[in-house]
Amino acid sequence: MEHPTSADEGRAEDFLRILDVLFMQALSGAGDSRDMLQAALDAGMRIVDGHRGFVAMVNYQTGELRVACISGEGWDERCRPLRLHLGQETDRGITGHVALEGRPYVCGDVDNDPYYLRYHDDVRSEIAVPILGPQGQTRGVITIDSLRPNAFDAEDCAHLAAIAHTAAVGLALDGFRARESALIEIGRSLSATLDTDAICQSVVLIAEKVLRYDNCSVFLADEMSQELVLRATCCAADEHAIVTRYAMGEGLTGWVAAHGAPVRLENPTQDPRWKRALANVPESEVGPFLAVPIISRDRVLGVIRVMRRKSHTPWYNNRFTESDERVLSIIASQVGAAVENARSFDRLLRAERMAAWGELSAKSAHMIGNRVFALKGHANELRHVIDSAPHMPQCDEIRQLLAGMEDGLQQLDELLREFRDFVVATQVTLAPGDVAAILKETIAETFPRRSPVKLRTEIAEGLPSVRCDARRLKRAFAELIENALSFQPEGGRLDITCRLATEEEKAEARLATARGYVRIVFQDEGPGVPPEIRDRIFQPFFTSRVRGMGLGLSIVKGIVEAHHGIIREVGRPGEGARFVIDLPVDDSAPASRA
Amino acid sequence: MPRLLVVDDEDDVRAALQRRLEREGFDVATAASAEEARQRIQEQQPSFDVVVTDMSMEQTDSGLQVLQNAMAHDIFTEVLVLTAYGNVANAVESMRRGAFDYLEKNAPGVDVYELLVMKVHQALERRRSAVSAIRRMEAFAALRS
Repeated sequence: MEHPTSADEGRAEDFLRILDVLFMQALSGAGDSRDMLQAALDAGMRIVDGHRGFVAMVNYQTGELRVACISGEGWDERCRPLRLHLGQETDRGITGHVALEGRPYVCGDVDNDPYYLRYHDDVRSEIAVPILGPQGQTRGVITIDSLRPNAFDAEDCAHLAAIAHTAAVGLALDGFRARESALIEIGRSLSATLDTDAICQSVVLIAEKVLRYDNCSVFLADEMSQELVLRATCCAADEHAIVTRYAMGEGLTGWVAAHGAPVRLENPTQDPRWKRALANVPESEVGPFLAVPIISRDRVLGVIRVMRRKSHTPWYNNRFTESDERVLSIIASQVGAAVENARSFDRLLRAERMAAWGELSAKSAHMIGNRVFALKGHANELRHVIDSAPHMPQCDEIRQLLAGMEDGLQQLDELLREFRDFVVATQVTLAPGDVAAILKETIAETFPRRSPVKLRTEIAEGLPSVRCDARRLKRAFAELIENALSFQPEGGRLDITCRLATEEEKAEARLATARGYVRIVFQDEGPGVPPEIRDRIFQPFFTSRVRGMGLGLSIVKGIVEAHHGIIREVGRPGEGARFVIDLPVDDSAPASRA
Repeated sequence: MPRLLVVDDEDDVRAALQRRLEREGFDVATAASAEEARQRIQEQQPSFDVVVTDMSMEQTDSGLQVLQNAMAHDIFTEVLVLTAYGNVANAVESMRRGAFDYLEKNAPGVDVYELLVMKVHQALERRRSAVSAIRRMEAFAALRS
């Protein structure tokens, strides 16, 4: 072993000083990465006494090495913009070789080197060290050459490697800083939007800044059916025909939603849960997969999914990292909050609109009611006049016309009643009651004795009491029975069941699992409700019937919600309509523990 | 001939009620507001036998005001209140304050006019027997002294 000379010591001190400065620059993040790389290159040139040098950075999108910084003389238009493709078999140069190997390389005699690629005539030695990323992948290469043969020794190699490490740290820090500011931007833009579609769209755009992907899709769970529906997507130009809906639990995406846990796979097509996601991409092209659930208040609201095409360069593993998963999860939690916010706002708007509807209905119904009352008075007088002159000519004709008018007034009264029910639907006085008994009474009062529709009931005994307004609840049940009857005029079936909701059913309906719910189901064999209008049928004035104003289902919804319950239509296509009402059990009464 | 007062802010409702009640043989006066009703009640000598009033006019409980004015003027005036849909609270309150009865104007399937006429007859009957009981007491007191 050689004894260190004072020259060596001087060199060592020099090196440490240079390294220190470089580290501080990398840490502080002052200037951009290019400045830092330039500083590293300049430091390297000084330490190893090089003649010419450059830093080349890897572009993983294209698989190319490109010159980022230069030092020394002799750079001209010809070699400055050099590009090496790492996929190519030959003419990679020492730089390319080092990029692939991920290890430093020293060459004392370039003329006899298997890898060297000549750009300058005067070069005799070359040294190249890789700049590695946190996962050990090559991010760039520092290459320095010399006019002297065997100019670089092992110590030079170690020093240059150390400099490369500081550059690596600087790059990594820059990457984290970029992520941080993108996340801050996400937070800001998400909290400013109340439109769920806009929220999903910004996720896709911002995710691009923190993650490299070939496809990013955001799915939100439909509030009624709990299906996952695609709300925003960004993909390369040829990837249309993306699957737009998943049932809960279907495919990897559905699995993530059903389990509320992320999935990160290098080879998703090998996984038993895999289901075709992109119709235009053959399965052989499908690469790394990462999906995280969007969660808010312990409920899964949707899924954010990113995918990459398979990497065909064996030296480059383009899998998603744990850090990628963390970042996407943070984004997802912010999206969850934003979507929840937007939905609360929507609910508030809807509630205000319903209140306005209510007020409008109340006022118009009042005015119309007075008109109808007066008209009935006139009709009465007319009838009186006719009856006191039975031999008047055209008496019968007049009687007929009068009967027609009275019928019209009767219908007006019915419409007014519908209006009134709509207005008072949410005015309930709750008291402990027996839902099963109320249901049985309603069926007895509403279902006709003879009907082409077959009735089947399964009403449990001994159900816990529910805080309810018996009159209103009857009105709600009656409406659903009448609905089933009117949509099956030629005959059919109506199954009515009433029992406690099971734990599974509560979970699937996103109900609070800590309390009991009485579930009443109305299933018929009629035409059913097409999925595209499913969320509109409960809005006022939506009707596919000829009679009535279409307030019926909105009245039912108003009543159910005034009972703090929920109502959904979940019929399968071709199997008729299926209305499910869940009413919370009264947990203030001691005997209501189920 | 019994004297009636019909109070309603809607012209055609007032006209319809007046016509039906006049056909029944009553002497019918009208008022279009609680305030106008108050004046008519004050001026009317002898006082009205029955007052038929809408509940909701300038205010949702204008009918209660009419009731109060009528009974303040003559305790034996019978008051019938007409209510609109679902306004049960005010109807119940009017009963508590001494109204004879209330009817819902748009009760489906019911001929409210015929029902009203029937109620007016009943109210008149009650007023007659109340007044005659007072007369007998006055006569009795006169005899005693």
